[in-house]
Amino acid sequence: MSSTIVDPTPSRRGAHAGDPLPGKLSGNGTSTGPGPSFLRVLNSEFIKFRTLLSTLILLGSTVIVMVGFGALSAWGTGQFSEAATRDPQAAARIAAQGGDFVVAVPTSGIAFAQLILGSLGVLLMSSEFTTGMARSTFAAVPRRIPAFAAKLVVVVLTSFLVTAASTLAAGFVSVPILDNYGLDLDLASSQSVKLLIVNSIYVAAVAAIGMALGTLIRNSAGGIMSLVGLFFVAPIAFQLIPGDFFVEARKYLPGNTVDPLTALDHVPDTLEAWQAGLVLGAWVVLPVLLAGFLLKKRDV
Amino acid sequence: MIEARGLTKVYGDKTAVAGVDFTVEAGRVTGFLGPNGAGKSTTMRMIMGLDRPTSGTVTVNGAPLARHTAPLRDVGALLDAKAVHTSRSAYNHLLAMAATHSIAKKRVHEVIEMTGLAEVAKKKVGGFSLGMGQRLGIAAALLGDPQTVILDEPVNGLDPEGVVWVRNLVKYLASEGRTVFLSSHLMSEMAVTADHLIVIGRGRIIADAPIQEIITGKGQVRTRVRTDQPDQLMHLLAGTGVSLELQDNELLEVSGLDPRQIARAALDSHVMIYELTPLKASLEEAYMELTKDEVEYHSLITTGAVPVEAGGN
Repeated sequence: MSSTIVDPTPSRRGAHAGDPLPGKLSGNGTSTGPGPSFLRVLNSEFIKFRTLLSTLILLGSTVIVMVGFGALSAWGTGQFSEAATRDPQAAARIAAQGGDFVVAVPTSGIAFAQLILGSLGVLLMSSEFTTGMARSTFAAVPRRIPAFAAKLVVVVLTSFLVTAASTLAAGFVSVPILDNYGLDLDLASSQSVKLLIVNSIYVAAVAAIGMALGTLIRNSAGGIMSLVGLFFVAPIAFQLIPGDFFVEARKYLPGNTVDPLTALDHVPDTLEAWQAGLVLGAWVVLPVLLAGFLLKKRDV
Repeated sequence: MIEARGLTKVYGDKTAVAGVDFTVEAGRVTGFLGPNGAGKSTTMRMIMGLDRPTSGTVTVNGAPLARHTAPLRDVGALLDAKAVHTSRSAYNHLLAMAATHSIAKKRVHEVIEMTGLAEVAKKKVGGFSLGMGQRLGIAAALLGDPQTVILDEPVNGLDPEGVVWVRNLVKYLASEGRTVFLSSHLMSEMAVTADHLIVIGRGRIIADAPIQEIITGKGQVRTRVRTDQPDQLMHLLAGTGVSLELQDNELLEVSGLDPRQIARAALDSHVMIYELTPLKASLEEAYMELTKDEVEYHSLITTGAVPVEAGGN
């Protein structure tokens, strides 16, 4: 390392060897020029977001999964309703569901969208720490919270928009399939719009929880496992554990807040819609606040 | 200017930095020298506001970094060659960094040219060699055209040409009146780069002085003496502040006395000396001398070089 070889010939990479004048550098005292305002940090986070191939792949797979499940569900629903015309038992079951099963076809892939975009939320923050990028990020924005908030905005907005767009796409694909079976899906009906908006907000909320977990745990696998634990394992575990406490507690899991928010009538053993909204809000706000607080406090 | 006052960082039961005070002045290259694990990187992370000091303060131009209105335009740092998302291209990394301070795309291209990354700028950073990673880190540090530049082990992994380039770059930056703070565990690199040296060992400042002073002052004057009566000469020379080491049958190394004093003592007692060689301490030796008690991880080879207990008796 203590080489004293001075090679005056320019390297392959450019003629900069031994050049003491590395471009324009003014070097006058203190800083002049703009600092990290929120909009600038937001722009930076958006650049970071769109320049990762893995992000784009996850967004693309969300669309594919949503459209795919929508189409499958449309086909399955059609088959089922066709069978119902010959089978009075099936017809009775359809009647029992209140006839709103067709309207839910476009959002049938939502459980997977939530898993993918929730994981994206985890990854966007945990990868900052696993790759060391966080040191660059927080050296540029040493107050930290603006960078965290900007990333949260990017994560929440994209998750919302991608879920909404793919729900709509799934709807467009499902309409002609359902039409084949004589079923009518009106994408402009108030229930369709409500399902689209509530589910998109829900997935955005899951992504925000994911990002909070990624910030707290700082490890991709650990963050995603926690997310899966909260949304997929806990509901099943709570169902298996006997006792009134778990029956009650199960209602308050974030994954069980969607049904009450979208159902036409109150579903038994779930929260009221307004309660569910508050519970979901708390599931987002508390982890996000904790993550922000600890991010500010901990070493990077 | 960087000022640390009573700066301390404790991780669990391990004190990485133990209440250090130092000032890094503008307009010169200040070297931050210490063996691995001495606390150099921790100190630099605290300057950048990434690690929170357990106690004490560190400021850049009078304020902690978090209170600067445009941190990237005030302080640029290469802290770790891997402070980059491996799946992003070098260009996009710099673009995202620049966006936080509305730094023009033109400047991004400038630092890419300056650091010789033009050909690989669109490639993923994950495939970069250590040297290219260092160049990208330096590009990021210079992005905001900052008044203060902090470089943690910048020559690590660079080819000889890159080493010379960094050497010239930091001298140039200092000549423009910037504050340049540069860490290394390589004494030889510091000897040709730094104007001022802060030596750290086990989280404490061991020396903080102009590089010349460290070479001549701290490294004690030693003299090699050959005599056929070493025992008698050792007896004559012994005193406070004098250390004597019998290296061979008739070879003695004396420190704490100059050659004239040794010759005078020998002449007065009729002890014949047939070699009297002043040994000028190199910076490397001065460094070893300064840090020999402070090295966190003694390698076997290093301990072998100090065979006092092992070979002495």
